[in-house]
Amino acid sequence: MVKIAEYQRTATFTWSHDKIPILATGTASGTVDANFSSDSVLEFWSLLSIEKDKPINKIKASAKFNDLDWGFDPNKQLVAGALDNGTVEFYDPSNDNIISSNSTAHSTPVRTLTFNSKQNNILLSGGSKGEIFIWDVNKINDASYTPSGPGTAMTPLEEINSLAWNQNLAHVFSCAGTSSTYASIWDLKAKKEVIHLSYTSPATGVKAQLSVVEWHPTSSTKIATATGSDIDPAILIWDLRNSNTPLTVLKNNNGHSKGILSLDWCKQDSHLFLSSGRDNTCILWDPESNNGELLTKYPTRGNWCFKTKFAYETPDIFASASFDNKVQVLTLQDLTTKFDIENTNAEKDKTEADFWNTVSSSDANFTSGHEKPTVVNLYAPAWYGNKSPAAQWAFGGKLVYIKNDGDEHSVEITKPDIPGIFSKNTMLDN
Amino acid sequence: MVTINNAHSDLIHDAVLDYYGKRLATCSSDKTIKIFEVSQDSQTLVDTLIAHEGPVWQVDWAHPKFGIILASCSYDGKIIIWKEDPNTSKWTQIDTYNVHSASVNSIQWAPHEYGPLLLAASSDGNVSVIEFKDNGTTEPIIINAHAIGVNTASWAPVAASFDNVRRFVSGGADNLVKIWKYDQDAHTYVLEETLEGHSDWVRDVSWSPSVLTRSYLASVSQDRTCIIWTQENGKKWNKTLLKNEKFPDVLWRASWSLSGNILAVSGGDNKITLWKENLEGKWEPAGEVEQ
Repeated sequence: MVKIAEYQRTATFTWSHDKIPILATGTASGTVDANFSSDSVLEFWSLLSIEKDKPINKIKASAKFNDLDWGFDPNKQLVAGALDNGTVEFYDPSNDNIISSNSTAHSTPVRTLTFNSKQNNILLSGGSKGEIFIWDVNKINDASYTPSGPGTAMTPLEEINSLAWNQNLAHVFSCAGTSSTYASIWDLKAKKEVIHLSYTSPATGVKAQLSVVEWHPTSSTKIATATGSDIDPAILIWDLRNSNTPLTVLKNNNGHSKGILSLDWCKQDSHLFLSSGRDNTCILWDPESNNGELLTKYPTRGNWCFKTKFAYETPDIFASASFDNKVQVLTLQDLTTKFDIENTNAEKDKTEADFWNTVSSSDANFTSGHEKPTVVNLYAPAWYGNKSPAAQWAFGGKLVYIKNDGDEHSVEITKPDIPGIFSKNTMLDN
Repeated sequence: MVTINNAHSDLIHDAVLDYYGKRLATCSSDKTIKIFEVSQDSQTLVDTLIAHEGPVWQVDWAHPKFGIILASCSYDGKIIIWKEDPNTSKWTQIDTYNVHSASVNSIQWAPHEYGPLLLAASSDGNVSVIEFKDNGTTEPIIINAHAIGVNTASWAPVAASFDNVRRFVSGGADNLVKIWKYDQDAHTYVLEETLEGHSDWVRDVSWSPSVLTRSYLASVSQDRTCIIWTQENGKKWNKTLLKNEKFPDVLWRASWSLSGNILAVSGGDNKITLWKENLEGKWEPAGEVEQ
C-alpha cells in the first residue's frame, strides 16, 4: 500500500485525535483551481470509508485557509481555521455550519494557529505584523469576546509563519517568521518574549532565516527550528540550556536541497521527525541519534510540500500537502516487495509496441508511478515489538517467557503449579 | 525450571519451544535469532541466525514432519525460512519472502494437517498465506485485512472446525478482530465475521486448541482488556470480558495451554496471569507466574 489515500485538493489539513483518525482538509489560500473558483471548503475524510474519495462532511468557510488545527478536548470536537481574510473560524466536525467566526482580532491574514495540548481550551494564532493572540475557546460564542496578546516582544517578528506550544510547560510557546533570522521563545507567565535563537550558517557565514519551530515531545528544553531559505537549508535541534549553538544539525547529502516549510516531531517516539519543503520532498529523521541520521526519504512530489504531519494517535501514518494539487496519506514504511519487482520486470519486458499501446492508459501510469521511498536507516518505532513477558505454553504444561530487565535479556521455562489442573510429579514431568 | 541469562544483547520479543520441547528459538531487537538445545537443567547455544535487517518480532517452528524448520518475521518486512542440517546441526537460510511492504508483526505455521502453510500479519494492512508446494514453488495469497495495519493472525485448530473449512483470526490497528475462512473456488480467504469489542489496537488473538464443542478465542489489546469470544457449532460469537476491571497495563500476549483450558495473559506491567473457566462459565484467576 503505497498511499492509504490521495485527495485531489490544494489544501492545508489537520488530523483528528482519534485512534482511527479523520483528516480535515481546507482549501489553501494563494492558489486557484482550474475554474478560478474563490470558494473555500473544509472537508472531512474517513480512512475507513468505502467511498474514499467522498468526504464524510463538508463546511463552507468564509475565506481560504492558511492553517487548520483540531482541538484536543475529546468531549468537544472543534476545528479551528486560520483564514486569509484575517478571520479565525471555529467548526464542529459533525455539523455543517460555522460555530464562530472572529474577524476583529487580527488585522491581517491569519497565517497559523495551534491548540495547547495541556490546556485544551487554549488556542494560539499568529498573523502578519507580528500579531499573536491567545484564545479561550470556551468564550468564543460570546459576541464581546476578544483574545489577549502574549505580552511584550523583544523585537517584533514581521510575519508569524509558525507557532508551537511547549509539550511540557503549557505557558511556553515558540514562534518563527517568514523573513526573520531568529526564532523566539515566549513565557506567558512572565508575559514576555524570553529567548531569541539565531544561527550563523558555517557554509555561508550569514545568519540563517529561521521560519519553522517544533518542540520536543517530552523534553521541555529541546526545540527544533528550520531554515526556510534555499541557501544552505538545515534543521537545527537546540537545547535551550545552551541557546548559543544547536545541539544537532539535521543535514545530509540526501537531505533537503531547498528551504524547509514544515516540521513535525512524533509525540509517541522522539526518534521520529518529519520535515518537508520547497524541494518537493518529505524526509523522516532520527534527531535523537548522534548525527541526526536520515531514516527515509519519500518520493518527490510535483511541487512544494508545505505541510507534513503524523496522525496524532496513529503515527504509523502521516499526511503531506503539496501545491501539486494533492493531499496524500502515506505509511511510514513502504518497502519494495516482490510484486513491485515483478511489475518493474514486466514493464521492462514489454515490447516497444506494447509500451506505446499502454503508455497512455491510466493502468500503465499507476504501475510506473508506484515509486518507493528510499530507506537509508531502518528504525523500528517505539510502539512496535512485544514489550511483555510474552508467555507461551508448550508441551507438558511448560510455560516459556521472556524477562527483559534493564540490560538483562533472558528467557525462562517454568512449570506453573495449578491446583487441580497440572500438578508436579505427574507422568509428563520427566 | 530453566533460565537462559543474557540470551540477547537487546529486547527479546519471542521465545518458542519446538514440538518436543528440546529446542528453543528466541528472537530480538538485536536482529538475530538464537537456537538453544534445552534439557532438564542445562542449555546450549546451537546457532545464531543472522539475516534480518531490523528487529525480529516472532519465530515459529514448523511441524517436525516437514523437517527442522523455523520461520521468522521482522520490521524489515521480510519473512525468512531457516533449516537445520540434521548431520551438522548447522542452520541455513532456505528462503526469503518479501511480500509485505511494511513490518511483518506475526507469523504462524498452520496445523500440520493442512500442509506447509504459513500465515503472516503486516503493518501494510495485509495478511499473507504462503503455501509451500511439493514441487518447491510457493504461492502467496494476499488479503487486505485491516486498514492501518495488522498486528496479529493465528490459525484455528483443526478440531475447532465444525464444517471442515480452514479458518484464521486476525487483529488490527482498527481495534477489530476478524475471522477469515478459506474459499476453495476462489482460492482465497474471505471475511466471515467481524468482532467488535476493543477500543484500541488488538495486540494478540489466540484460538484455543480445545476439542470441546465450543470454540474459544482470546484477544488482548492496548485498551488493557482481554475478551474471550466463544462460538458453538458455527453460531453467533459471544463476548465475555476475562475480567471486568481493566488490567494495570497494556496487554501484549495471550496463550492457551495445549489442552486448551488455561489461558496465560502477559502485559506491559511484566506480569503473567493465568486464567481458567469455572463450572458456571466464569473466568477466574488460576495463579500468577512468579518472576
